[in-house]
Amino acid sequence: MNNNRQEFLKRWKETIDIPPQTIGPFTPIYKEVTKRLKVMPLPMVVAVSVAIVGLVVYLFGSSITKLVSLLQRGF
Amino acid sequence: MSDHMIIAFYACVRTLIGIVTRPYETYRHVINDGSYWELVPLTVIIGSYLGVASLVKTAAFRPYMLTKQFMVLTFAVLITFGLVVGLLWFIGKLIGGKGTIRGVILGWAYTLIPTVCWFYITSLLYVLIPPPRTNSPLGILFSALFLLFSSILFFWKVMLTYLTVRFGLKLDLPRISIIFFVVIPMVVFYGIGMYRLGIFKIPFI
Repeated sequence: MNNNRQEFLKRWKETIDIPPQTIGPFTPIYKEVTKRLKVMPLPMVVAVSVAIVGLVVYLFGSSITKLVSLLQRGF
Repeated sequence: MSDHMIIAFYACVRTLIGIVTRPYETYRHVINDGSYWELVPLTVIIGSYLGVASLVKTAAFRPYMLTKQFMVLTFAVLITFGLVVGLLWFIGKLIGGKGTIRGVILGWAYTLIPTVCWFYITSLLYVLIPPPRTNSPLGILFSALFLLFSSILFFWKVMLTYLTVRFGLKLDLPRISIIFFVVIPMVVFYGIGMYRLGIFKIPFI
């Protein structure tokens, strides 16, 4: 019982330790997006990346090979 | 000391899994309770990459050249690390950040994991499938996959950087945006400097 209380107090302290995020009228959207990023964000990151790369390929076509050639020499 | 090392190694492995599966909770834990010992396994990971990069860049088994290249890359990475942590800490404090320098150092050190992944795989691909890419269907497919992989690691990096500032300096979104607006141009100029010196074409950030 005492351990549960201590655990709860620790969690509570962690939660109030940082200021809450509010961005005016966009706060609900922000909360919805971050909720998906807090646990296992990989599917969302992959989906966004696929969309961006798809758009880049659509817009620039085979020119992306030049960009990739540059990036490959970038290390 | 060996106890510290074992605990740090275990904590590091747990964090490496955590930053993929539960980054928010993991970063909160690392920044509040992490120890400097966790930097040791991270240094080994980054050091191993620098060894591989030295081999690929030198392209010759000449000890003097390899050691020189390794030392140059190591100093560049250390200076970049210090610069970014210093900038985040200094600007964060200026705008009312309340965290600890230990939190920022540990948080930023773990953001180097996506960076190392990108540099490692790019170096290996440079050896296995050297550029330039052609306009053939296979060339375009490889390019699209490479961009996809780079984009995923980039967003992962951005997320971890945000969490470093959020938990390390205990700031809200507007102040985090201010830090990014100030730090990013400085880092871009620094990256150009590194490029001109021929150390990293893309800065190891």
